[in-house]
Amino acid sequence: MSMSNKRKRIDLLLQTITYSAAAIAVLILSMIVFFIFRNGAGLLNLDLITSDYHAQFYNGSIGEVNNFSNTDKPDFLTEEDHYSSKWGIALSDEIDKQGGLMIEVTYIADDSPLKEMVDKNNPDNETFSLKQGQVLSTIKFYDKNSALTIYGAEYMINELNEVDTFREIVFSTQGGGIRGSLITTLYVIGMTLVVALPVGIFTAIYLNEFAKKNRVTNALRSMVEMLTGVPSIIFGLMGLAVFVPLTVNYTSANSGNLISGSLTLAVILLPVIIRATEESLKVVPDELRSASLALGANRTQTTFKVVLPSALPSILTGTLLSIGRIIGESAALIFAIGTAVKDDISIFGKSTTLSVQIWSLMTDEPANIELASTIALIILITVLILNLLVKMISSRYMKKFV
Amino acid sequence: MNENVFTINNLDLYYGKFQALKNVNLDLKKNKVTALIGPSGCGKSTFLRSLNRMNDLIDDCCIDGDILYNQNNIYQKGYDVITLRTKVGMVFQKPNPFPMSIYDNVVYGPRCQGIKNKKQLDEIVEVSLKRAALWEEAKDRLKDSALDLSGGQQQRLCIARAIAMEPEVILMDEPTSALDPIATLKIEELINELKENYAIVIVTHSMQQAARISDETAFFLMGEIIEYGPTDTIFSNPKEKQTEDYITGRFG
Repeated sequence: MSMSNKRKRIDLLLQTITYSAAAIAVLILSMIVFFIFRNGAGLLNLDLITSDYHAQFYNGSIGEVNNFSNTDKPDFLTEEDHYSSKWGIALSDEIDKQGGLMIEVTYIADDSPLKEMVDKNNPDNETFSLKQGQVLSTIKFYDKNSALTIYGAEYMINELNEVDTFREIVFSTQGGGIRGSLITTLYVIGMTLVVALPVGIFTAIYLNEFAKKNRVTNALRSMVEMLTGVPSIIFGLMGLAVFVPLTVNYTSANSGNLISGSLTLAVILLPVIIRATEESLKVVPDELRSASLALGANRTQTTFKVVLPSALPSILTGTLLSIGRIIGESAALIFAIGTAVKDDISIFGKSTTLSVQIWSLMTDEPANIELASTIALIILITVLILNLLVKMISSRYMKKFV
Repeated sequence: MNENVFTINNLDLYYGKFQALKNVNLDLKKNKVTALIGPSGCGKSTFLRSLNRMNDLIDDCCIDGDILYNQNNIYQKGYDVITLRTKVGMVFQKPNPFPMSIYDNVVYGPRCQGIKNKKQLDEIVEVSLKRAALWEEAKDRLKDSALDLSGGQQQRLCIARAIAMEPEVILMDEPTSALDPIATLKIEELINELKENYAIVIVTHSMQQAARISDETAFFLMGEIIEYGPTDTIFSNPKEKQTEDYITGRFG
């Protein structure tokens, strides 16, 4: 009787430990996701993904104005939109992606004189227009103080209404977008896979199908396994020491670039892909190899006509998971590709991936947690989609050998 | 005219230090079904696999003695294993169709030998499937995955796949052990028809099966052939005490 009570107490204890451990793990994970969502969801929109990181500044001026707009305030504008019917423009106070104040153009009438301004930097060029969504930072007048962002949108509108012309208007695109880093990430994924996949898959085929089972093969295999455990920053150093000089010498690059970054990542991924492929090949039943050989196929035919096609779904799974690894890698890339956020992407030029952009945003002064969280959110969603894809592929094609 | 396809003289086979076959001497005849019987681990599958050199795949396997296929020693240096395997087909214990269509399964062997002509391949598929008694069931679904077939159909497909190479000999390693009685019956009927054209060597654990389908029977024990002769004689009037004990179920 006492024995059974003791047994029950031990069971209860073990169960409590199990449940609480699971609860803690779930709690921590959901807190991370919640944190990222709370900080990042606000900025998440298509505009962020498609727009440049660096704001483009324009200095416009206007001569003597003959035709003012004098359009009434459209109905869809709200109280927040301060409107000048004389100039046909609505401004509103907003928070920019860095968390500072900005004055955004929320509406511009078709007949607004601000649609035809002279570019002060290149007066010979065609006239350009202020556009909806752009940011107004300064209006310089001829005989009074300039209207600045810190005075607010209402002040700017009132000042504008009082004058018939002005000396200069400084405006810009919004900036803070991640298009550049997104494209870089896609390039890096593509180039890394182009290098790492063939080398990795063929190495795995050699190890698993062709190599004699001897000490050399085993040594090679344990080296591959060891490399999977090496911290990626060490590969980053290697990238800086080998691939950056290599690309600088043989291409038009003059610093860390997309190629050196991709090559470094390819080296990081190589052991991962080799292992994943070897595991996939091991799952292919030996009966299929025997069947093929017994039909007079040679080893190469057997490998490429039977074994590899059978292993393909799970090789694909491994590949998708390694794309997650590419998206997530930052430590190595800080060295191998650099941290400069760029908008014009060239594979020989500087620029950076989403993960590294998080790093550079957080090392800025002040740190831009919001944008960093938004990028984190995008990465999380991408990885989630990849994992769902993996699940789909495996449930659809993996039944084969059961 | 010599009616033996295989002549085996003093065959010893080792897996590392373990001797799996001891001084095996055997003649395998054309257009006959030869059954290899014996308890598990007696070397009958090993023997079967040495006939098309599938034992080459095992690293530490080595062989002493002669296996003559059409008077040529298949273990001599420079012997063309690929050609041997196209002439000596094999059907395995577990149905093992490739994860591709029925059609592609049958033409796999011919394609590996470089036959690309569509018409020729179509013909091979039809002839092979007909001989394997699978044509009626499969002719409308040649493009379907072979894995959608039932176990018995899969095994007949594997036989069709072997037949597609136009072999002289078909080796069968317990081809019905993974099948239900009805599928087994179909395969046995098929074997009976096939011996018109091929020499068949079959390993089986079922005494009844050996008695039903084979013309010759060899009884293996501990890597040695204890007795070899016409199936009728072996089952009704065995010379050796061990054979009698085995076939009457006293051990094994």
